Amino acid sequence: MLPADKPMPRSITQFYDTRLEAYDEMYAGEGQLQPHWQSLTQELDRLGREGLERRHHEAQRLLRENGVTFNSHEGLHGTSRPWQLDPIPLFISAEEWSVIEAGLIQRAELLNLILADIYGPQTLIKEGLLPPALVFGHAGFQRACVGFKPSGDRPLVLCSSNLARGPDGRMWVIDDRTQTPSGAGYALENRMVMTRIAPALFRDSHVKRLAGFFQPMRDQLARIAPQNREDPHIVVLTPGPYSPSYFEHAYLANYLGYTLVQGDDLSVRDGRVWLKSLEGLHQVDVILRRVDDAYCDPLELRKDSRLGVTGLLQSARLGHVAIANPIGSCVLENPGLLAFLPKISRHFLKEELKLPSVATWWCGQENERKFVLDNLDKLVIKPIHRRRGYRAIFGARLTLAEQAELRSCILHNPHLYTGQEMVSFSTAPSFVDGWVEPRHAVLRSFLVAGEDGYIAMPGGLTQISPQAGELDVSNRAGGLSKDAWVLSNEPVEYVSLWRQPRNDQVLKFRTDPLPSRDADNLFWAGRYLERAEEAARLLRAIFLLRRELRDANGDVPKPYLHSLLRALTHVTGTYPGFVEDDAEKLIKSPQPELHSLLHDVHRAGSLASTLQGFDKATKTVRDHWPAEVWRIIDAIQQDWDDAEDSSDAGSSRTQDRLDHLIMQLVAFSGLTAESMTREAGWLLFDIGRRLERSLGLISLLRATLVPDMDDVAKRQLMETVLVICDSLNSFRRRYHSYMQLPTVLELILMDQQHPRSLAYQLDCLQQHVAELPRTQGTHRLGEDERSILEAYTALRLADAAELSKIVEGEGYCKGLEDLLSAQVESLWRLSDVITSSYFSHSQPPQQLSPQQQDEDI
Amino acid sequence: MKYRITHTTTFIYKARVGLCYNEARLLPRDLPHQKVLSAGLEIEPPPQDYYERFDYFGNRTVYFSIQQPHDKMIVTAFSEVETGVSSLTEGAAALSWETARDRLRSDLSEEIISASQFVLNSSMVSVSEQLLNYAQPSFSAGRPLMDAVNDLMQRIYQEFKYDPEFSTIATPLKEVLEHRSGVCQDFAHLAIGCLRSLGLAARYVSGYIETVPPPGQDRLVGADASHAWFSAYLPGFGWLDFDPTNNQVPGDRHLTVAWGRDFADVTPLKGVAFGSGKHKLKVSVDVLAIG
Repeated sequence: MLPADKPMPRSITQFYDTRLEAYDEMYAGEGQLQPHWQSLTQELDRLGREGLERRHHEAQRLLRENGVTFNSHEGLHGTSRPWQLDPIPLFISAEEWSVIEAGLIQRAELLNLILADIYGPQTLIKEGLLPPALVFGHAGFQRACVGFKPSGDRPLVLCSSNLARGPDGRMWVIDDRTQTPSGAGYALENRMVMTRIAPALFRDSHVKRLAGFFQPMRDQLARIAPQNREDPHIVVLTPGPYSPSYFEHAYLANYLGYTLVQGDDLSVRDGRVWLKSLEGLHQVDVILRRVDDAYCDPLELRKDSRLGVTGLLQSARLGHVAIANPIGSCVLENPGLLAFLPKISRHFLKEELKLPSVATWWCGQENERKFVLDNLDKLVIKPIHRRRGYRAIFGARLTLAEQAELRSCILHNPHLYTGQEMVSFSTAPSFVDGWVEPRHAVLRSFLVAGEDGYIAMPGGLTQISPQAGELDVSNRAGGLSKDAWVLSNEPVEYVSLWRQPRNDQVLKFRTDPLPSRDADNLFWAGRYLERAEEAARLLRAIFLLRRELRDANGDVPKPYLHSLLRALTHVTGTYPGFVEDDAEKLIKSPQPELHSLLHDVHRAGSLASTLQGFDKATKTVRDHWPAEVWRIIDAIQQDWDDAEDSSDAGSSRTQDRLDHLIMQLVAFSGLTAESMTREAGWLLFDIGRRLERSLGLISLLRATLVPDMDDVAKRQLMETVLVICDSLNSFRRRYHSYMQLPTVLELILMDQQHPRSLAYQLDCLQQHVAELPRTQGTHRLGEDERSILEAYTALRLADAAELSKIVEGEGYCKGLEDLLSAQVESLWRLSDVITSSYFSHSQPPQQLSPQQQDEDI
Repeated sequence: MKYRITHTTTFIYKARVGLCYNEARLLPRDLPHQKVLSAGLEIEPPPQDYYERFDYFGNRTVYFSIQQPHDKMIVTAFSEVETGVSSLTEGAAALSWETARDRLRSDLSEEIISASQFVLNSSMVSVSEQLLNYAQPSFSAGRPLMDAVNDLMQRIYQEFKYDPEFSTIATPLKEVLEHRSGVCQDFAHLAIGCLRSLGLAARYVSGYIETVPPPGQDRLVGADASHAWFSAYLPGFGWLDFDPTNNQVPGDRHLTVAWGRDFADVTPLKGVAFGSGKHKLKVSVDVLAIG
């Protein structure tokens, strides 16, 4: 809906209002439309608001379906919100870009030299070009990294700077990101979406491709490998699914073809870094890290870190692993440094800085400190290191008391503070709430080292402020993003990310090792998937039955509904439920219990908690799923969360939602079966599925068909069991209308051709288990192989008629019960053996510190 | 003096540990007044990885990792050291503390740049108003630095109670100040904090002190254990050690192992072990005069 208080303009750009009194990208501050924006304004006018609105929705839909998210707060309870993309790109002309690019390249070169100097000879400090306190007092200066031999000529592999245009029309650098520069993956995703929603505009504008950045990045990461350069094993080290930009880590790993790992997937032995994989230890040559410096190694750096790799620094020190960027790069993320760059540029490069930085005064110097204190209300005060809780302070927004407090902080530790000029950034046209409005914009650039210098991504990630006039432009502040289009004067060639082999190069077939953690999560993704489907099918059957009973005015006897309720407790493992202590009462009025089994996330075994487990397991191995599968994963969780508001668990809406969920789960199974390569990852995922399906089926049968009951109830129960097992159609086709226990068992237990039968599951398990990697040269069966062989043989030897017999005086099918309970035992043993032999259950680390020392003074 | 030092650290794990990584700063430094005749580590079970290096501050640092299941780890450092008495050149005694402070700020000689790092806060010692207030009575205007630090050391010795029950290694300085008690680490940190609050450079020294009391003198506290004291920097002259726990300027009965900004830089033995149970720790130190 359009806001009613604004008139509907015929031309969307005619009424574009640049009242913010800042330089505007489209009008260059003079009210004159910049020629390179012409095509865009025409397009905007052609589209009109409705057209733009459509594109905006289309962009958001694509981003949501691709699972592009940004976790706004770290930690378990952080909310991950969809990435926001403005459908209007930022245009940068070819001429202007060449100036910016040259400036960025020079800056990266300079930062690289400074980094190498700080951790090497420290001539800048000795010659008075950098004050000692600015370096030594910075939290990012890692003494443990001094003297490291850098990998490659340019230790600073990746470099990123935030740019904004000042009121004079020049581009300024606000700050630099050198530790783990993030955003390149989001820029790439933005580009993919933009080319989808505005293909014609993109084509006609001759936009430079981003692959021109990612290809050199891949080359450089391979080049810095200390060994194995032809085909190095490169991993992306992420803090994990709860880090704000986890999406990007998984996305880049996938796009670049690297293994995504977390700290405890890696282990240092013999001074080298190894990936714990399903096949054993696998040496890692290069780490592209997204873990902050201080958290990289609990032995030598922050000892409370659980995100790092113990011994990593030693391995890097020995030169056995290359890390991009090197640990210690955070020392460059220091606004105080900006004040010294012009001199250092003259010193190192004999050049003036091509891109100026925002004017900065470091308080560690007397005159500068005085200036900052005298102008506190006009400056932005930034601490020299970015830390949680440390933010830029806008002096003008402080009360007098706050100013006094800040003044005293500065005076106590002057070297920790800087003052910066408050720059009013330029604005760019942005589509916000149905209107094209000017918003302050910041462009984050990305550079990667190459053999002959740095290479800049043409464009970058543009972020715009969430509120009009607001200068705080960041993801955390809830900003929106834009794609930046660097225009070319001629048509742009397509750049492929695929490398061309040299003529003489023999390409080796290689499958990447499967990290043990991924194996574990894939296995559990499979188990949760089946567990959710079983619970959903059983619940659906129960609701259906309850409605039928209600419609029949309750005259029909209900023993078989009660059987199903008991089966629900057994299958979901939610004891006492309908089987223990208060069972009678619950069975009489099952509604609250059913509601809890549907929606109570905190109850283990409930559908909601199983789906949550599924979500977590699948998202942790996000890089293993094809894009379509991600969409289902996101949809499942989202749709189920939306379903929670309907409190009437018996309503037809609940039925619909269960139908919908079952369809999504089946779609997940189908898509994965169609698109996953039959490698180790698939094996573990499918083992998890088959194991869970077997266990679920057995639970169901033990609760429903083992006990004796009257013929009518039993027949109804058998039919419902067939429905739950998705086997009624097969049964009808095969046995027509005869509903007898032996034939039912024949189909759902023994029929190897029927994908829902126990025999089918065991057959798959037997094949998969045989394919698992194991120590060579032994002829004996592994314990896992023995367990499955035992279970499968017992099943094949069984006779359906014998199993169905009710033993006199016992009142249940003893043969069936005995067979099924033996199967459960074998299957659990199989699960245990797989868990202990293939998954890395890294034991928890403990600090060996002298804290508890008994005798020390 | 010649000494033989045996420093044994035993970790006993409740549950088996499969993998552990350690960093040791147990091997003494070579200094003009201290000659290391021999030094080495004995580790049980034997480590698979073992690397030695000099850390940022020049301390001998050992990285080792044990990659086999074990219930117990014993690390023993054996060293033989010959000590003498260090002394600063003439004129050091006259240097006023203000001159020292100003030279640390303005002088750009390599030595002073390096010393200037010890003026800044470190993870365990941050300057504060309270530290400044405590230091001030010793630092009257124009007083020679050496004299002032001596006075500070003496005041700490007199006004603070040595109390091993009170302190763990991580006692914040604020508490030490409030309760007027602590152990040698705390007193060293306290003095360092005082000096830094005045803009002076001070560092933390870990080491040992001789075991047997010479006849006629009191038994020195710190026997049979690792010890710690601090060192103050006199621009143009060098570093001078002070032992506030024993109220003396260390001579040939103090043995220096390592130095840094505070305890965290020179922890004798720290590590990460992978195992689920807790561990018990026992340390024994023997310092034997051998002539």
